[in-house]
Amino acid sequence: MLRTTIAPGPAPTVFLAGEMDLDCADNLREAVAEAARGAQTVVLDFAEVKFIDSSGTGIFVRLSLDMKSQGTPMVARSLSPAVKGVFDMLRVRDLVGDEVFPD
Amino acid sequence: MADPAADPPASLQVFRYTAGDDTVRAVIGEVEAGLPLEDLVAHATQALESETFMCFAVSQSGDFVADELCFVPRGERCEILSIRTNGWQRHYGDHRRSLVEILNNLAAAVACGKLRILDEAELLQEAQAGTELLHFAIDDSASLTAAREAVDVILQGSDIDDLTRQRTILCISEAVTNMLLHGGGRGSMTLRRLDDRLRVVVADEGPGMDFLNWIGPPTKKGQASMGYGFKIILDYLDAVGLRTGRTGTTLVLDRKTD
Repeated sequence: MLRTTIAPGPAPTVFLAGEMDLDCADNLREAVAEAARGAQTVVLDFAEVKFIDSSGTGIFVRLSLDMKSQGTPMVARSLSPAVKGVFDMLRVRDLVGDEVFPD
Repeated sequence: MADPAADPPASLQVFRYTAGDDTVRAVIGEVEAGLPLEDLVAHATQALESETFMCFAVSQSGDFVADELCFVPRGERCEILSIRTNGWQRHYGDHRRSLVEILNNLAAAVACGKLRILDEAELLQEAQAGTELLHFAIDDSASLTAAREAVDVILQGSDIDDLTRQRTILCISEAVTNMLLHGGGRGSMTLRRLDDRLRVVVADEGPGMDFLNWIGPPTKKGQASMGYGFKIILDYLDAVGLRTGRTGTTLVLDRKTD
């Protein structure tokens, strides 16, 4: 199960915690949509994501592309080892663009 | 000549040739009328004699009932992997892995012994090997979490390191997710203990693997294609057995534990 916490501000941050699998789509979309209201960018913090699979990765990729096309791009930071390993294997950087991973 | 209107846009077939035979038999798909058996036998024989993994691109679909063929020698037999695209575009945007890349990856996995394409008898033998530890039904995303937890508990008691344990759990999650999304939405998972490994058998009675899913982009909700999951499974596990057809799909997933 994915838990989300939003820290508002000029660049609002959505802190993610728990598991990202095929069930996380609605939860993640709602949190990002809420954080994006009036913002120019949204930061996703993956530090507490303990598990992610290709479904969770696909949801992140789809959402990242959607937000970019809507003019509120997302930035990902603090990738946990579990997330980094899967993102690297699936070449997520190539799919969403280097600008999503400024670290 | 393939009829794009009547045939599915893409399909995978696997045939098997055993040294000394004068024909091939189907392991995935069917030996259809018009299949150039003599050509397949000749190429398979060449692959066996030269002990060489050979792939062919076939540009004239009327000449050969496939767009891409790989001949993979394995001891006394040769696995023949074929993808027929029926004119389907091979490259379609950033998200779509080409069918040819998929075929080559599968063939390479067979060549190095990581992936075994199973016939019915082999599946029965492999799915019943060792001692059953746990068996439960999978029918919703809650059982996906349960599947991960069950494998985690069992692997916690083995000598494998944390990274390997986490990767194994990831692979089981991928297999069960594939079942939920593409395998009819329900099935079973069985954990078995063999001498040197944990074996997880994930089985469904769905429509069989649809390799078109492998080149599709994530859906509107973001569900990733099956190809990504299978890539993870092949990269991270020690051995994978696959049987798929119109009556279902079974994956035999092995993690060595000593």
